[in-house]
Amino acid sequence: MMTGLDAILPTLNGGLQGYLVVALLLFAIGLAAVLLRRTLLMQFMGVELMLNAANVALLAFARFRGGDSQAMVFYLFIIAVAACEAAVGLALVIGLYRHRDTTDSDRAASLKQ
Amino acid sequence: MFITFALITLLSALGMLLQKNIIVAGLFMVGAFFGVAGLFVLLANPVAAALQIIVYTGAIMVLVLFVIMMLNSHEEEKAQSPRAIQRWLSIAVVAALAVGAVKLVFASPGLKALAIRGAAMPEAMTLQKVGLTLFADHVLGFEVAGLLLLAAMIGAVALTKRNL
Repeated sequence: MMTGLDAILPTLNGGLQGYLVVALLLFAIGLAAVLLRRTLLMQFMGVELMLNAANVALLAFARFRGGDSQAMVFYLFIIAVAACEAAVGLALVIGLYRHRDTTDSDRAASLKQ
Repeated sequence: MFITFALITLLSALGMLLQKNIIVAGLFMVGAFFGVAGLFVLLANPVAAALQIIVYTGAIMVLVLFVIMMLNSHEEEKAQSPRAIQRWLSIAVVAALAVGAVKLVFASPGLKALAIRGAAMPEAMTLQKVGLTLFADHVLGFEVAGLLLLAAMIGAVALTKRNL
Protein backbone atom coordinates (compact mmCIF):
# COMPACT_ATOMS: atom_id res chain seq x y z
CA MET A 1 0.00 0.00 0.00
CA MET A 2 0.99 3.64 -0.27
CA THR A 3 3.15 4.69 2.64
CA GLY A 4 4.25 8.12 1.56
CA LEU A 5 6.61 9.51 -1.04
CA ASP A 6 9.78 7.78 0.31
CA ALA A 7 8.33 4.35 -0.47
CA ILE A 8 7.11 5.33 -3.94
CA LEU A 9 10.10 7.16 -5.42
CA PRO A 10 12.57 4.19 -5.58
CA THR A 11 10.02 2.00 -7.42
CA LEU A 12 9.30 4.88 -9.79
CA ASN A 13 12.92 5.13 -10.89
CA GLY A 14 13.12 2.61 -13.71
CA GLY A 15 10.93 -0.04 -12.12
CA LEU A 16 7.95 -1.68 -13.81
CA GLN A 17 5.56 0.50 -11.82
CA GLY A 18 7.33 3.65 -13.02
CA TYR A 19 6.79 2.78 -16.68
CA LEU A 20 3.17 1.83 -16.03
CA VAL A 21 2.53 5.14 -14.25
CA VAL A 22 4.01 7.05 -17.20
CA ALA A 23 1.82 5.01 -19.59
CA LEU A 24 -1.30 5.67 -17.48
CA LEU A 25 -0.65 9.42 -17.24
CA LEU A 26 0.06 9.58 -20.99
CA PHE A 27 -3.24 7.79 -21.62
CA ALA A 28 -5.08 10.19 -19.29
CA ILE A 29 -3.61 13.24 -21.09
CA GLY A 30 -4.61 11.76 -24.47
CA LEU A 31 -8.13 11.09 -23.20
CA ALA A 32 -8.35 14.64 -21.85
CA ALA A 33 -7.29 15.98 -25.27
CA VAL A 34 -10.04 13.94 -26.97
CA LEU A 35 -12.70 15.03 -24.45
CA LEU A 36 -11.75 18.69 -23.92
CA ARG A 37 -10.47 19.98 -27.28
CA ARG A 38 -12.98 20.61 -30.07
CA THR A 39 -10.59 20.76 -33.04
CA LEU A 40 -10.62 17.39 -34.79
CA LEU A 41 -6.86 17.46 -35.38
CA MET A 42 -6.21 17.94 -31.65
CA GLN A 43 -8.55 15.06 -30.84
CA PHE A 44 -6.69 13.00 -33.43
CA MET A 45 -3.36 13.75 -31.71
CA GLY A 46 -4.96 12.71 -28.42
CA VAL A 47 -5.81 9.32 -29.94
CA GLU A 48 -2.19 8.94 -31.12
CA LEU A 49 -1.05 9.70 -27.56
CA MET A 50 -3.32 6.98 -26.16
CA LEU A 51 -1.95 4.44 -28.68
CA ASN A 52 1.57 5.38 -27.57
CA ALA A 53 0.62 4.88 -23.91
CA ALA A 54 -0.52 1.34 -24.76
CA ASN A 55 2.83 0.73 -26.51
CA VAL A 56 4.81 1.91 -23.47
CA ALA A 57 2.88 -0.47 -21.18
CA LEU A 58 3.24 -3.37 -23.65
CA LEU A 59 7.01 -3.00 -24.05
CA ALA A 60 7.51 -2.42 -20.31
CA PHE A 61 5.83 -5.75 -19.57
CA ALA A 62 7.90 -7.39 -22.33
CA ARG A 63 11.17 -6.13 -20.77
CA PHE A 64 10.23 -7.36 -17.29
CA ARG A 65 9.33 -10.77 -18.72
CA GLY A 66 12.88 -11.24 -20.01
CA GLY A 67 12.84 -9.41 -23.35
CA ASP A 68 9.90 -11.21 -24.97
CA SER A 69 10.02 -10.71 -28.76
CA GLN A 70 6.28 -11.47 -29.18
CA ALA A 71 5.58 -8.01 -27.79
CA MET A 72 7.61 -6.44 -30.60
CA VAL A 73 5.38 -8.19 -33.16
CA PHE A 74 2.29 -6.75 -31.49
CA TYR A 75 3.99 -3.35 -31.36
CA LEU A 76 4.55 -3.59 -35.14
CA PHE A 77 0.86 -4.38 -35.68
CA ILE A 78 -0.19 -1.46 -33.44
CA ILE A 79 2.06 0.87 -35.49
CA ALA A 80 0.57 -0.44 -38.76
CA VAL A 81 -2.98 0.15 -37.49
CA ALA A 82 -2.00 3.62 -36.22
CA ALA A 83 -0.63 4.51 -39.66
CA CYS A 84 -3.87 3.35 -41.34
CA GLU A 85 -5.89 5.31 -38.80
CA ALA A 86 -3.80 8.41 -39.49
CA ALA A 87 -4.28 8.19 -43.26
CA VAL A 88 -8.05 7.60 -43.15
CA GLY A 89 -8.67 9.99 -40.25
CA LEU A 90 -6.84 12.88 -41.91
CA ALA A 91 -8.66 12.18 -45.20
CA LEU A 92 -11.96 12.44 -43.30
CA VAL A 93 -10.86 15.75 -41.69
CA ILE A 94 -10.02 17.15 -45.14
CA GLY A 95 -13.39 15.94 -46.47
CA LEU A 96 -15.22 17.61 -43.58
CA TYR A 97 -13.29 20.86 -44.13
CA ARG A 98 -14.28 20.86 -47.81
CA HIS A 99 -17.99 20.36 -47.07
CA ARG A 100 -18.44 22.45 -43.89
CA ASP A 101 -15.43 24.78 -43.91
CA THR A 102 -14.61 23.84 -40.30
CA THR A 103 -12.52 21.36 -38.31
CA ASP A 104 -14.57 21.85 -35.13
CA SER A 105 -16.23 18.59 -34.09
CA ASP A 106 -19.05 20.51 -32.32
CA ARG A 107 -20.04 22.17 -35.59
CA ALA A 108 -20.34 18.87 -37.40
CA ALA A 109 -23.06 17.49 -35.14
CA SER A 110 -25.79 16.90 -37.71
CA LEU A 111 -25.75 14.27 -40.43
CA LYS A 112 -27.68 16.48 -42.87
CA GLN A 113 -25.86 18.90 -45.16
CA MET B 1 17.63 8.75 -17.03
CA PHE B 2 14.16 7.28 -16.60
CA ILE B 3 12.90 10.37 -14.78
CA THR B 4 14.35 12.63 -17.52
CA PHE B 5 12.61 10.82 -20.38
CA ALA B 6 9.39 10.40 -18.38
CA LEU B 7 9.34 14.16 -17.70
CA ILE B 8 10.07 14.98 -21.38
CA THR B 9 7.18 12.72 -22.43
CA LEU B 10 4.62 13.89 -19.89
CA LEU B 11 5.45 17.62 -20.03
CA SER B 12 5.34 17.60 -23.86
CA ALA B 13 1.99 15.80 -23.77
CA LEU B 14 0.68 18.32 -21.23
CA GLY B 15 1.96 21.17 -23.42
CA MET B 16 0.07 19.65 -26.36
CA LEU B 17 -3.13 19.50 -24.30
CA LEU B 18 -2.91 23.14 -23.16
CA GLN B 19 -1.56 24.73 -26.36
CA LYS B 20 -3.94 26.99 -28.32
CA ASN B 21 -1.99 26.99 -31.60
CA ILE B 22 -2.37 23.63 -33.35
CA ILE B 23 1.02 23.76 -35.11
CA VAL B 24 2.84 24.30 -31.78
CA ALA B 25 0.73 21.48 -30.31
CA GLY B 26 1.94 19.23 -33.14
CA LEU B 27 5.56 20.11 -32.35
CA PHE B 28 4.91 19.27 -28.67
CA MET B 29 3.65 15.89 -29.89
CA VAL B 30 6.99 15.34 -31.65
CA GLY B 31 8.70 16.01 -28.30
CA ALA B 32 6.43 13.49 -26.56
CA PHE B 33 7.22 10.84 -29.19
CA PHE B 34 10.95 11.42 -28.74
CA GLY B 35 10.50 10.99 -24.97
CA VAL B 36 8.68 7.70 -25.55
CA ALA B 37 11.52 6.59 -27.87
CA GLY B 38 13.96 7.34 -25.02
CA LEU B 39 11.87 5.20 -22.68
CA PHE B 40 12.04 2.36 -25.24
CA VAL B 41 15.86 2.59 -25.27
CA LEU B 42 15.83 2.29 -21.46
CA LEU B 43 13.60 -0.79 -21.87
CA ALA B 44 16.49 -2.50 -23.79
CA ASN B 45 14.55 -2.13 -27.03
CA PRO B 46 16.46 0.01 -29.57
CA VAL B 47 14.43 -1.47 -32.47
CA ALA B 48 11.20 -0.07 -31.04
CA ALA B 49 12.87 3.30 -30.38
CA ALA B 50 14.04 3.55 -34.00
CA LEU B 51 10.61 2.53 -35.31
CA GLN B 52 8.95 5.04 -32.98
CA ILE B 53 11.01 7.91 -34.37
CA ILE B 54 10.76 6.80 -38.03
CA VAL B 55 7.04 6.01 -38.07
CA TYR B 56 5.53 8.40 -35.52
CA THR B 57 7.63 11.54 -35.85
CA GLY B 58 8.82 10.86 -39.40
CA ALA B 59 5.56 9.77 -41.01
CA ILE B 60 2.47 10.33 -38.89
CA MET B 61 3.31 13.72 -37.33
CA VAL B 62 4.64 15.06 -40.65
CA LEU B 63 1.32 14.04 -42.23
CA VAL B 64 -0.64 15.73 -39.43
CA LEU B 65 1.41 18.96 -39.65
CA PHE B 66 1.00 18.89 -43.44
CA VAL B 67 -2.80 18.70 -43.07
CA ILE B 68 -2.81 21.43 -40.37
CA MET B 69 -0.91 23.82 -42.64
CA MET B 70 -3.05 22.88 -45.67
CA LEU B 71 -6.35 23.51 -43.85
CA ASN B 72 -5.25 26.96 -42.72
CA SER B 73 -7.16 26.89 -39.42
CA HIS B 74 -4.43 27.17 -36.82
CA GLU B 75 -6.44 28.40 -33.86
CA GLU B 76 -9.32 26.65 -32.15
CA GLU B 77 -12.62 28.14 -33.31
CA LYS B 78 -14.92 29.90 -30.84
CA ALA B 79 -17.25 27.50 -29.07
CA GLN B 80 -20.82 27.47 -30.39
CA SER B 81 -22.12 26.28 -27.02
CA PRO B 82 -19.90 26.46 -23.92
CA ARG B 83 -20.93 23.05 -22.46
CA ALA B 84 -19.30 23.89 -19.14
CA ILE B 85 -20.87 20.96 -17.28
CA GLN B 86 -19.62 18.37 -19.77
CA ARG B 87 -16.11 19.87 -19.67
CA TRP B 88 -15.86 19.82 -15.88
CA LEU B 89 -17.38 16.35 -15.82
CA SER B 90 -14.80 15.03 -18.30
CA ILE B 91 -11.94 16.66 -16.35
CA ALA B 92 -13.24 14.97 -13.18
CA VAL B 93 -13.59 11.60 -14.92
CA VAL B 94 -10.07 11.75 -16.42
CA ALA B 95 -8.53 12.82 -13.09
CA ALA B 96 -10.39 10.09 -11.18
CA LEU B 97 -9.33 7.50 -13.76
CA ALA B 98 -5.67 8.55 -13.58
CA VAL B 99 -5.51 8.70 -9.77
CA GLY B 100 -7.40 5.43 -9.34
CA ALA B 101 -5.28 3.55 -11.87
CA VAL B 102 -1.98 4.87 -10.43
CA LYS B 103 -3.11 3.84 -6.92
CA LEU B 104 -3.99 0.39 -8.27
CA VAL B 105 -0.53 0.04 -9.87
CA PHE B 106 1.22 0.77 -6.56
CA ALA B 107 -1.13 -1.44 -4.53
CA SER B 108 -0.86 -4.52 -6.78
CA PRO B 109 1.29 -7.33 -5.27
CA GLY B 110 1.45 -9.16 -8.63
CA LEU B 111 3.12 -6.20 -10.33
CA LYS B 112 5.56 -5.86 -7.43
CA ALA B 113 6.52 -9.54 -7.74
CA LEU B 114 6.95 -9.23 -11.52
CA ALA B 115 9.11 -6.11 -11.11
CA ILE B 116 11.43 -7.96 -8.70
CA ARG B 117 11.48 -11.20 -10.76
CA GLY B 118 12.34 -9.41 -14.02
CA ALA B 119 14.65 -6.75 -12.58
CA ALA B 120 17.75 -8.15 -14.32
CA MET B 121 18.36 -6.33 -17.62
CA PRO B 122 17.51 -8.71 -20.53
CA GLU B 123 19.52 -8.88 -23.74
CA ALA B 124 18.77 -5.95 -26.04
CA MET B 125 16.10 -6.63 -28.63
CA THR B 126 17.58 -7.15 -32.09
CA LEU B 127 15.96 -6.86 -35.50
CA GLN B 128 16.90 -10.50 -36.11
CA LYS B 129 14.86 -11.75 -33.14
CA VAL B 130 11.89 -9.62 -34.17
CA GLY B 131 12.07 -10.86 -37.78
CA LEU B 132 12.31 -14.50 -36.74
CA THR B 133 9.27 -14.23 -34.45
CA LEU B 134 7.32 -12.24 -37.05
CA PHE B 135 7.89 -14.60 -39.95
CA ALA B 136 7.86 -17.86 -37.97
CA ASP B 137 4.70 -17.33 -35.92
CA HIS B 138 2.78 -14.40 -37.39
CA VAL B 139 3.03 -14.59 -41.20
CA LEU B 140 -0.75 -14.36 -41.65
CA GLY B 141 -0.96 -11.31 -39.40
CA PHE B 142 1.86 -9.70 -41.35
CA GLU B 143 0.03 -10.24 -44.65
CA VAL B 144 -3.24 -8.91 -43.19
CA ALA B 145 -1.40 -5.80 -41.93
CA GLY B 146 -0.07 -5.23 -45.45
CA LEU B 147 -3.57 -5.59 -46.89
CA LEU B 148 -4.92 -3.18 -44.25
CA LEU B 149 -2.31 -0.57 -45.19
CA LEU B 150 -3.23 -0.93 -48.88
CA ALA B 151 -6.94 -0.59 -48.07
CA ALA B 152 -6.28 2.52 -45.93
CA MET B 153 -4.23 4.06 -48.74
CA ILE B 154 -6.98 3.47 -51.32
CA GLY B 155 -9.60 4.71 -48.85
CA ALA B 156 -7.65 7.92 -48.14
CA VAL B 157 -7.28 8.63 -51.87
CA ALA B 158 -10.98 7.92 -52.48
CA LEU B 159 -12.05 10.18 -49.58
CA THR B 160 -9.95 13.18 -50.59
CA LYS B 161 -10.37 13.05 -54.35
CA ARG B 162 -13.06 15.49 -55.47
CA ASN B 163 -14.48 13.38 -58.29
CA LEU B 164 -13.29 9.90 -59.10
